[in-house]
Amino acid sequence: MFNRRQVLLGGAAAVSLASTGAATRAFAQTKEITIGVIYPMSGASAQVGVDARHALETALELVNNAHDLDLPAAKAAGLAGLGGAKIRLVFADHQADPQKGRAEAERLITQEKVSAIVGAFHSSVSATVSATTERYGVPYIAADSSSPSLHRRNMRFFFRPAAHDEMFSAAMFDFLDAQKKAGQKIDTVGLFFEDTIFGTDSSNVQRKLATERGYKVVSDIKYRANTPSLTSEVQQIKSANPDVLLPSSYTTDAILLVKTMGELGYKPRNILAQAAGFSEKAVFDVVGDRLGGLISRASFSVDMAAKRKSVGVVNDLFKARAGKDLNDNTSRQLMALLILADAIDRAKSAEGPAIRDALAATDIPGERTIMPWARVKFGEDGQNPHADPVLIQYVGGKFVTVFPSAVAVAPPQWPMNAS
Amino acid sequence: MTLQALLQVLASGLLMGLIYALIAVGLSLIFGLMDVVNFAHGEFLMTAMYAAFGLWLLTTLDPILLAPLVTAFLFAFGALAYMGVVRHAMRVDANVGMVQIFATFGLAILIQGVAQYFFTPDYRSITGTWLGGRTVEFAGIFLPLPQIVGGLVSVAAFGGLYLLMSRTDFGKALEATREDQGAVALVGIDRNRVFTLGWGLGAALVGLAGAVMATFYYIHPQVGGPFALIAYVTVALGGFGSVFGALAAGLIVGLVEALTAMIFPPALKSIGVYSLYLAVVFIRPSGLFGRL
Amino acid sequence: MSDATLVAPAAAPVTDAFAAKRRQQLFTAGLIFAAVAALPLLVKDVYLQNVLVLTLMFAALSQSWNILGGYCGQISLGHALYFGIGAYATSVLFVTYGVSPWFGMVVGGILSAALALALGYPCFRLKGHYFSIATIVIAEIGLLLVHNWDFVGGALGIQWPFSPDSWATLQFARNKVPYFYFALGLFIVVWFVTFLIEDSRWGYWWRAVKDNPEAAESLGVEVFQSKMAAAAVSAFFTAVGGAFYAAFVAYIDPESVMTFRFSLLFALPAVLGGIGTLWGPALGAAILIPLTEVTRSYMGGSGSGLDLIIYGGLIMVVALAKPEGLLSLFRRSPQGRAQS
Repeated sequence: MFNRRQVLLGGAAAVSLASTGAATRAFAQTKEITIGVIYPMSGASAQVGVDARHALETALELVNNAHDLDLPAAKAAGLAGLGGAKIRLVFADHQADPQKGRAEAERLITQEKVSAIVGAFHSSVSATVSATTERYGVPYIAADSSSPSLHRRNMRFFFRPAAHDEMFSAAMFDFLDAQKKAGQKIDTVGLFFEDTIFGTDSSNVQRKLATERGYKVVSDIKYRANTPSLTSEVQQIKSANPDVLLPSSYTTDAILLVKTMGELGYKPRNILAQAAGFSEKAVFDVVGDRLGGLISRASFSVDMAAKRKSVGVVNDLFKARAGKDLNDNTSRQLMALLILADAIDRAKSAEGPAIRDALAATDIPGERTIMPWARVKFGEDGQNPHADPVLIQYVGGKFVTVFPSAVAVAPPQWPMNAS
Repeated sequence: MTLQALLQVLASGLLMGLIYALIAVGLSLIFGLMDVVNFAHGEFLMTAMYAAFGLWLLTTLDPILLAPLVTAFLFAFGALAYMGVVRHAMRVDANVGMVQIFATFGLAILIQGVAQYFFTPDYRSITGTWLGGRTVEFAGIFLPLPQIVGGLVSVAAFGGLYLLMSRTDFGKALEATREDQGAVALVGIDRNRVFTLGWGLGAALVGLAGAVMATFYYIHPQVGGPFALIAYVTVALGGFGSVFGALAAGLIVGLVEALTAMIFPPALKSIGVYSLYLAVVFIRPSGLFGRL
Repeated sequence: MSDATLVAPAAAPVTDAFAAKRRQQLFTAGLIFAAVAALPLLVKDVYLQNVLVLTLMFAALSQSWNILGGYCGQISLGHALYFGIGAYATSVLFVTYGVSPWFGMVVGGILSAALALALGYPCFRLKGHYFSIATIVIAEIGLLLVHNWDFVGGALGIQWPFSPDSWATLQFARNKVPYFYFALGLFIVVWFVTFLIEDSRWGYWWRAVKDNPEAAESLGVEVFQSKMAAAAVSAFFTAVGGAFYAAFVAYIDPESVMTFRFSLLFALPAVLGGIGTLWGPALGAAILIPLTEVTRSYMGGSGSGLDLIIYGGLIMVVALAKPEGLLSLFRRSPQGRAQS
């Protein structure tokens, strides 16, 4: 009987032997490295896929052309380690279906001969895609799927440069602790989360942290995603009136939640959001006037441009394509491709196992990213534990970094409706 | 749960119920006329919302003023859908119901694709309207103005529909056609024409609902789905083909949904409506007001 | 299901010509199955093999649906419930308790059949769209319950652990061929059951029920019981299909196995190919599934919605061009086999 790791290693070795010939040939002919991208391009989350396309194409521009930016793989045109080879992206649509995601991963690997895959927003799809890439010995970068279960499956080809839900929620509670220490009254929290994998994961961690750190959960509301009406749900929060409302909602529900709160005359004392919908421009376009003082956790903050030149330049490049600033999702997607390109550059190879080893050896200081991270250095499990998130506050129509204090641009307004 | 909270939930549920009824009645009308369940009903609603959004972008008029235009647009849209798609699906006698489901399902996907093609899958909203964001407060109960107006429009639409059905030749032709499709040909009613107008009317009603909803709801290519499911249940609960069954059922669905979310975990709130439907049809197999 | 019920009633006109036609059908079927079984020799591409597996799976599932929806005329749009029960029973038993998926598959099938009987009791009083909506609503209730049931993973779903390739666990890391033969086997079994039923007393009852329920009842046909039997058989095989899907994808969550989309996907191939026919579902699946996959894979990456326009448009065109099902293209007599 083999143990799991032996089977996986054996499989990977077999792959590398089998695919060496084909991949080398393809590379020699085209001087091109092909990378697969799997996102929802149709269906309820199609906008995520469309935005991801803009983000990844921005990253592609950075890699394939010379830019005077201190970012991985951006300096030279193409990949210096591979004689200036360019990267080509192949996009695939998973429609939020794990089976389709897997089928697309197989197609990208076997037909398009991709050297690595980036995806996939939905954690459920990342689960099947990463199982497939593991079996084919092709690295998978989970750019923005944040379920903690993903990196706990002993996988060698899975990498996540950004934070997972536990890190995100921990930062949120660190902030609450800091506020409390500074003399603010924060005793109760209200959980409000959608019923798919994102909301469930997020709320599970938040519930645990609240109990551990002595906050009373006065409302714990799981609602059906994309529901036509949230009146009863909001009424319940209003009755409980927690000191801090912690919503985990996608765009549609975030819009409906804020509108319904307004309609029911409910002004939450504070909102501390688990990004998602609360980092989407669409939400602030519509209900931004009601969200003054909202704080959201984030993987990214535009105001870092003041300290780091590359952030502003990259954001402008992205904005030219997408018509909006980089946000929580798009920044992670963009950065994921840069980190991958850097690893391919160092691997000097188009082959999965070599790129995998280069990824495992990645060590990029935070200053060379557009993120507030300390560094990019993957653990044994493929998770980057140094990707600490920040908290940003929506003040005067734009986001300001308010936590942790090391990167904060301004002190937080607390409570949110103070001004 | 305080009494005030309960009243608030009931009032909100009632307003939402009026909207549900307005969305559902078009479906019921078409069904009563020709035994067709339109699987693209949610996409008709979505089309109406995008029509309101598009017209608002073009004219910058308030969406409430645009509602008649949207309604007229959807009338044409529905009539075209009948002439271009449904009419052909009715040619064969065998398994006609399934072919229509299939054809309208294809239409639904097509409309979603077209919406995504022209408007991108981004979430849209109409902002800065007269009604938007205004709320009426009465004894601690908050009623948003857009929904109040939506409810009034719904009531007016049902009133108008009643007059149309009972007072006009078209209404009588509709009624006669649904009673006996074969016999109407003998008295000189062009069945095809009645069907075309019937689809137009059904779509116009959901168009009105869409125009109203566009003032307070987000818009994107998938927005119709959840409403369509509620509309099917509402129509069946009220009794297929019964216009006023749809009104009663819409109100009941709105109330039950709001109350279930109050008492049970909100994630399960649809179960209240679904169970009610099952309970009703197990006792009355043709819904509350339906004829078999 | 005793042998006695499956034997054609003595009263049926079992002429030599009829028996010869049945023999010929079996022979044709044998040839088709043999030809399909040889496909993996020609198709080496993993992606295309994946499409083949899905096609066969949906052919089998649509054929299962066809037993109730086509032959019996009970249009269920809630079969995702049985599919989900099969998928979940197998996954929970395998992942949590280490029970072989083969056993879980049978457990799921029996659970589904039992549930179909329990639900059939009140539901078969309903007619037409009232019945269809009831099936949708019941499946949605099932979806919501599973979504909120932590024991079966709730929204997080169930991930199958990595296992070495084995028929015992139905896990094959990269090889699609075993799944292909499993799906083909499932389709053959369901096809053969349909073939037997078509000519059995049940088959005659169902045709009678479909053509005219009131008349069939007055003639003493046990309408209700025959509907129940159809529901149970149909649910059983749908659950087996769900069990297969769970093993095939090695990950399930409520959204990916229990949504309304699946219920429609079971009905559509049958309608497309020819409802209430032996080969309709397979033909429909052979067109619909590759169309779905290929439009998404080769056009969906742009996010423009063009793939949806083409996919939806083609469904419409096919439905309108051949409303009686594509199988009618192959038939000499347009009336089909339902003679009254």
